[in-house]
Amino acid sequence: MSPGITGVLEQNQIVNLLKQRDKSALAYLYDHYSAAIYGNVLRILGDEDVAKEVLQDAFMKYWDKIDSFDSSKGRLFTWMLNLARNLAIDKLRSKEIKKVQKTDDLADNVYNVESGNLIHQSIDGSGVKELMNNLREEERNILEFVYFKGYTQSEITEETGIPLGTVKTRLRMALKSLRSILRVE
Amino acid sequence: MNIEEYISSGILESYVLDELPPEERREVESMSEKHPEIKRELEKIELSIEKLAFSTAISPDAAIKEAVLKAVDNKQPPMQITHDKRESGWLKYAVAASVTIALVTSYLAFDYYGKWRNTESELSTLIAQNQQVAQDYNVVNQRLDQIENDLKVINNPAYQRVTLNATENAAGALAHVYWNKTSEEVYLSIQNLKELSESQQYQLWAIIDGKPVDAGVFDLENGLLKMKNIAGAAAFAVTIEPKGGSINPSLETMQVVGNV
Repeated sequence: MSPGITGVLEQNQIVNLLKQRDKSALAYLYDHYSAAIYGNVLRILGDEDVAKEVLQDAFMKYWDKIDSFDSSKGRLFTWMLNLARNLAIDKLRSKEIKKVQKTDDLADNVYNVESGNLIHQSIDGSGVKELMNNLREEERNILEFVYFKGYTQSEITEETGIPLGTVKTRLRMALKSLRSILRVE
Repeated sequence: MNIEEYISSGILESYVLDELPPEERREVESMSEKHPEIKRELEKIELSIEKLAFSTAISPDAAIKEAVLKAVDNKQPPMQITHDKRESGWLKYAVAASVTIALVTSYLAFDYYGKWRNTESELSTLIAQNQQVAQDYNVVNQRLDQIENDLKVINNPAYQRVTLNATENAAGALAHVYWNKTSEEVYLSIQNLKELSESQQYQLWAIIDGKPVDAGVFDLENGLLKMKNIAGAAAFAVTIEPKGGSINPSLETMQVVGNV
């Protein structure tokens, strides 16, 4: 049983329980989703202490803001991930650590948090690097910027000079390639 | 707007990543309500990112879970006092029971989803096999029909069997003509004729009043071949002609011949 795919039924059940202020639903949410969200947040921030802080804030927000989640507009996980990513990106801006990080070599930063404590490795047991190596270089670069670094697409255009339309198409192609690599139906 | 173009513009990815201004968000939402293919595409994008998140997951410090649950406890507004103590006790059990039921059912839903997926793939394999069997059955059935029809002709005393024996041109060649003098129907059965090139075809001739009359062209096939109706033949012969047949037989290529 994979925690990665939530059936509609289950998603609705969790949401309903959360709306009824059921703490066990929050614990369930944490058990199933915290690692997936923390993996992203930690890579965006590149700092374990700040990432922990953001993760905790995010779960508090899931509890407080669950009424603003609308299942007709998307999946619960998407809502959770975006909320956490936005907190992380705000943190980056407030701490002005973004500037330092931006000038670092991207690939190093993206993967260097991949040290000991990965519990959810990629499906085939291969690491993030191998997963990303399945993509074409230009797709990989854009996905690294967007997903692992928390850049908006317009920020990528400013940073790299790649036209916005091209950034959008490359991101789309990158996610399409991931579909087949990660076997999304 | 062209849906394909809309999807390929990358706007749906921006939506899922929460990068759109409110106006464009609403546009995507209304497009998704109107067009199921956009809704499906959005779901796929969401699932790709979800799978990416899970395959790059890092387990956080367990202390965070405790901190989160504790913080929630502290924030928990005081339970609304219900009118009656008995009811709140009962409520507690009811809530606990419903949580348990909810968790158990979600697990079961997962489990059955997995089983259902397996069953579905087995079912499609079986359907494919079934179609193959049905096709084979049809082929066999047609063959059987043909053989039954052939047998009717062969066993019908109204048909006269004319044996066409090899000429000097074609040692070992053999064919039979089944000819119904009354109805004028002619069937040909090939026992042994050589393979021809793509540009050639066999042609059957009836000799009527000493003159060859075309009775149809044919290729090498099993079973009885229906030829043109013939009246008053004295003999039958087969020649090799250019594809499509000739008006006059090329006698030098005659393979088999037989008198009625």
